[in-house]
Amino acid sequence: MSGAAHPDAMAPPQPGRTRTAPPRKPSSWPAHPRMRVYTLFGLTGVVYFAMGFVLLYVFWQLGKGDAAWMSVMASMTSPFFIAFHVLSLISVVFVGVRFFRLFPKSQPAKIGPAKPPPQPVILAMLYAVWIGLTGLFVAILAGGLF
Amino acid sequence: MSDATKKFVITRFDPDRDEGPRTQEYEIPVQSDWKVLDAINFIKDEIDGSLSHRWSCRMAVCGSCGMMVNGEPKLTCKTALSTYGDTVTIEPLANFPTIRDLVVEMDGFMDKFKSVKPFIIVAKERAVEEGTHRQSPEELQDFKQFSMCINCMLCYSACPVVANEPEFLGPAAIALGHRYNMDSRDDGADERNEIFRGEGTVFSCSYANECSEVCPKNVDPAAAVNQAKFNAVVDWATGLILPRGGEE
Amino acid sequence: MKHLLLRLEPLIWLLFGQGILIGTIFLTGWLLVVGIALPLGWVGFEPGQALDYQRSYALSSTVIGRLILLALIALPMWKGAHHLRHLSIDHGGADRDAAVALSLYGLAALGSIAAIVAVVRL
Repeated sequence: MSGAAHPDAMAPPQPGRTRTAPPRKPSSWPAHPRMRVYTLFGLTGVVYFAMGFVLLYVFWQLGKGDAAWMSVMASMTSPFFIAFHVLSLISVVFVGVRFFRLFPKSQPAKIGPAKPPPQPVILAMLYAVWIGLTGLFVAILAGGLF
Repeated sequence: MSDATKKFVITRFDPDRDEGPRTQEYEIPVQSDWKVLDAINFIKDEIDGSLSHRWSCRMAVCGSCGMMVNGEPKLTCKTALSTYGDTVTIEPLANFPTIRDLVVEMDGFMDKFKSVKPFIIVAKERAVEEGTHRQSPEELQDFKQFSMCINCMLCYSACPVVANEPEFLGPAAIALGHRYNMDSRDDGADERNEIFRGEGTVFSCSYANECSEVCPKNVDPAAAVNQAKFNAVVDWATGLILPRGGEE
Repeated sequence: MKHLLLRLEPLIWLLFGQGILIGTIFLTGWLLVVGIALPLGWVGFEPGQALDYQRSYALSSTVIGRLILLALIALPMWKGAHHLRHLSIDHGGADRDAAVALSLYGLAALGSIAAIVAVVRL
């Protein structure tokens, strides 16, 4: 059976002449495959929020000096952080793939005189930027550049 | 002709007799080329005349016959019965109050629809001597896709935000408002963007994309809603720099 | 409260959008190095190695380094806040939305302020 939707969902501006049955959500929710993906997409919010605070902590420690930095980097090799980072990487890739799939069609046909490139071009550009900047970031962090 | 039978589990609700919705089962012979609507019409015509449902054109242009088939919003005139197994569940459109059986209350939708001012708004009326508006094929393409909506409301049944946020304008209404915003003949974008940033805010959309998945006319309302967000942000930003009233 | 949220929605959406776009792009590189390569020993943080204090500090304290760090730390928080708020609404939370939104966006705002402090004091 489906769950109840908000009792005022799609409510008419004035009540009708007869009593109505309250609105119900689709019975295919939440188990429907697409709804599961959508819910997971929302749940990655936890990962992103946590990553933000982890990074805040890491770079706060950088500001405290050599010993603090060594300590926080060492903790990045703990089983907890390895698991968290692997989960985060999976989440980030999942978010990127879904978001990039949906991004091109969300560009208006024009804003003033400016027109966006065709949708396949936008998608290609997004992936090019993602892969390119990731490569650059990795090269810098891993010591290959600068 | 094959004489297969299928069982239909249909939601019934008579406000004069029933406390709340209940289901009723019908087992009927079906034909291999039937749509779901054919089965429902057969049930009403031959088995149970009290079953109430909306339908009209039988060819997916009027938008009347939207229902939940096995938990998914479908146009029943367009949905082949052969894609389903021995048991088919038919419910009224999700997220809407039900008036009776498979008939839902549409006035809430009509209200949201009207609120986006779905008509050409001109800044200055054209004199008859100026002739008609002229619009290039490229200008038509900017909004044509979003004009194909048949108001079937399947997108409202699919939308998780509609289910939970009563004020949300919803996919079809926003798509229609966006259609007019993108129409080169229209000057009403300022007014509509204010509505888009009001109580029914387009920003409530969480881009589940379900509306576009279920749309039978490939309108892609999710694209319209998210394009509308972009336009609303531009409108908001330019409003910060040039407060409205700075232009005539 | 609801009215304030409505007025701030375009800004929140912009921050969320950048959080998802820039956050995803920057986080991938960070996670590949610090999340995978570091524990595997392919990249080190001992003196003389790629992520030692001297080099890390030098890179982070450039103007562009600070800006990238600010984006890396703060923007994902806005993505997180926005999606968690929507998740709350999706699960029957429309009536508590103002409180949930205030808490989540407030946390992201505090985190962003802390991020500004963190990069400025480098």
